[in-house]
Amino acid sequence: MVAIVDPDEDLVRRVGQGDPAAAQTLVARKLPRILALAQRMLGDAAEAEDVAQEAMLKAWRQAPKWIPGKARFDTWLHRVALNLCYDRLRRRREIPTDTPPDRPDEGPAPDRGLLAAETGLRVAAALKHLPDRQREAVVLCHYQELSNIEAAALMEISVEALESLLSRGRRALRQALSDIAPGAAEGDGR
Amino acid sequence: MKAERLQALADAYGADLRRWPASERAFAESLLAGDPSLKAVLDQAAALDVLLDAAPAPKPSDALTARILAAAPQSRPRTRRFHLDRIALYLGAGWAAAACAGVVAGVGLTTHVTADERADAILYQSTLVAVDDTEVLG
Repeated sequence: MVAIVDPDEDLVRRVGQGDPAAAQTLVARKLPRILALAQRMLGDAAEAEDVAQEAMLKAWRQAPKWIPGKARFDTWLHRVALNLCYDRLRRRREIPTDTPPDRPDEGPAPDRGLLAAETGLRVAAALKHLPDRQREAVVLCHYQELSNIEAAALMEISVEALESLLSRGRRALRQALSDIAPGAAEGDGR
Repeated sequence: MKAERLQALADAYGADLRRWPASERAFAESLLAGDPSLKAVLDQAAALDVLLDAAPAPKPSDALTARILAAAPQSRPRTRRFHLDRIALYLGAGWAAAACAGVVAGVGLTTHVTADERADAILYQSTLVAVDDTEVLG
């Protein structure tokens, strides 16, 4: 078995020993990533904070008993955060709401142009309305910059299945955003 | 066939070759170098990448960071524990010494008292003998 090279190994060991500087470094390194993951998976800032906090607290509990070489700590932390996100997404489906789910904002007409912030909100809304598994694939590969092998392992699917989810997800995003980036939508008729 | 694979990879992973499977990057680069018209495939994927990158990434609040750091593992207070251990050791040793001293003192005292009592008893018995002799002998 090939030993896994983990850039966080030493840091996690020091965290487990109660080194406050190491804890600060780990938070600076991981919290923004995990918060972004949760925000993009859930589309809700408050829930994303809860998930990020819970994932980091689990990391604190795991650090003293972390066994190096079995897995990358970053991958483990992503797995924890994704599980927490899926718990919440499942709960949302189980609890019916009176208000219908919001649809992506069509936004202003293209000829008026969009501010960067508005573009960002449009993209976030389009991402939120992707099917969960497509969104997860796009988030892991594009935003979290995990390799295809890491992302497929996290999602417990083959690399081929991951590529299929990614292609369908990106195609849906191109269509949803075609009015603000016509260039991105070219070739959809293939 | 090769161009189709390039298109499939761009559709899945976008235009940035760093996101592509490591095993296919060299293939893609050689294909693009051999046929510059294929760059259009990457351009289309890049347009969506730019849009995706416009989505805001949340910044952790100071309050969230503080809450998480407050729960971080703490190193054990080794110095203090060392002192507590020493104090416990001294207390134990003190109790043991006191117990030994008690035993020694008790034994010594008991021996002294016993000797005195024996002497008194002998003296008493000797007087009794004297009385008896007087009484018996007249």
